[in-house]
Amino acid sequence: MPNVITICGSLRKGSFNRMLEKALPSLAPAGMTVSPAPSFADFPLYNADIQNEKGFPAPVTALADAIRAADGVIFVTPEYNFSLPGGLKNALDWVSRLKDQPFVGKPIAIQSASPGPVGGARMQYDLRKMMVFLDALTMNKPEIFVSNCVSKFDDKTRELTDQTTRDFVKQQLENFAAFIARHGKK
Amino acid sequence: MPDLNIVTICGSLRKNSYNAALIKLLPSVAPDSFNFTPAPPFDGIPHYNSDLQNEKGFPAEVTAWADAIRAADGIIIASPEYNWTIPGTLKNAIDWVSRMKDQPFKGKPVALQSASIALLGGSRMQYHLRQCLVSIDALVMGRPEVIVTFAPTKFDDKTLELKDQPTLDVIRQQLAAFEPFVRKISGK
Repeated sequence: MPNVITICGSLRKGSFNRMLEKALPSLAPAGMTVSPAPSFADFPLYNADIQNEKGFPAPVTALADAIRAADGVIFVTPEYNFSLPGGLKNALDWVSRLKDQPFVGKPIAIQSASPGPVGGARMQYDLRKMMVFLDALTMNKPEIFVSNCVSKFDDKTRELTDQTTRDFVKQQLENFAAFIARHGKK
Repeated sequence: MPDLNIVTICGSLRKNSYNAALIKLLPSVAPDSFNFTPAPPFDGIPHYNSDLQNEKGFPAEVTAWADAIRAADGIIIASPEYNWTIPGTLKNAIDWVSRMKDQPFKGKPVALQSASIALLGGSRMQYHLRQCLVSIDALVMGRPEVIVTFAPTKFDDKTLELKDQPTLDVIRQQLAAFEPFVRKISGK
């Protein structure tokens, strides 16, 4: 059964996307393990000079190794200024430079939560485009856009309480297990 | 022995289309297992209007196009970019078949190509088309991408034959990658 890692695009403590990420293990189908990937918080800004002089920083290698070892990757990320958070893009830029590029052929699913009405959709389509460059296999449907997210999580416990959203997420994870079984590396 | 039915869809209707010229050359650089079938033309398809669909059902041209797609093991779409996006005619055809119960693109392996006279080679169209294909749940191959820039310098003026070797090489590479992609999905 698949071992899936999650990459959260937000670094802040109170992130709604982090809350969504934390809800995933309880919504995953039996046998699917879901755990957070090593953080990209300590990645330096990408600079080919650093790479040439000192090689890849340890946190980059740690994230890349986790991606390689995973059967699938789920991005759970906010939209900043209509696109990916710069921190996440920087992480992908680092990882893309590795020789044994870890995203090649990797099954991907995407989720986003936002306080606005569109739920991060513009970010998702930019991220899908990057996954084409990295030659990953991004699952189509169902898409998870948690719009107006403030009302869907409990103020105090930070749990995902909106049943409709929970059902959609559950369905996506079930489909992702089947997608990995069909298209992932055996 | 050709055992994979690869259906081609050209987004341009004009006779001297560079994209039609791309499709025409595919058999010369494709794996032996590919048997190419052009999709029926979509120029007879009316503008999508759900009233029409409700009153008269799907037009015969739509059904024919959908049947060809259903019968395909893989699909190659070569299309120009009109005003930075998908030609309206092609989008209209997709809008029609997307309404069918047994939606023909669902789970189909797809590869994209585009040729344009300018610098960006239709890439903005390709990324809009990828987005539409998410909606209809097709499986679009990642790389290599075929984006033919400055098409008039790469095709022969008179014969419309592609004479640019690097372009031919990348098309060959795309088709070579498409074969295992199609086999994995179709199980053939």
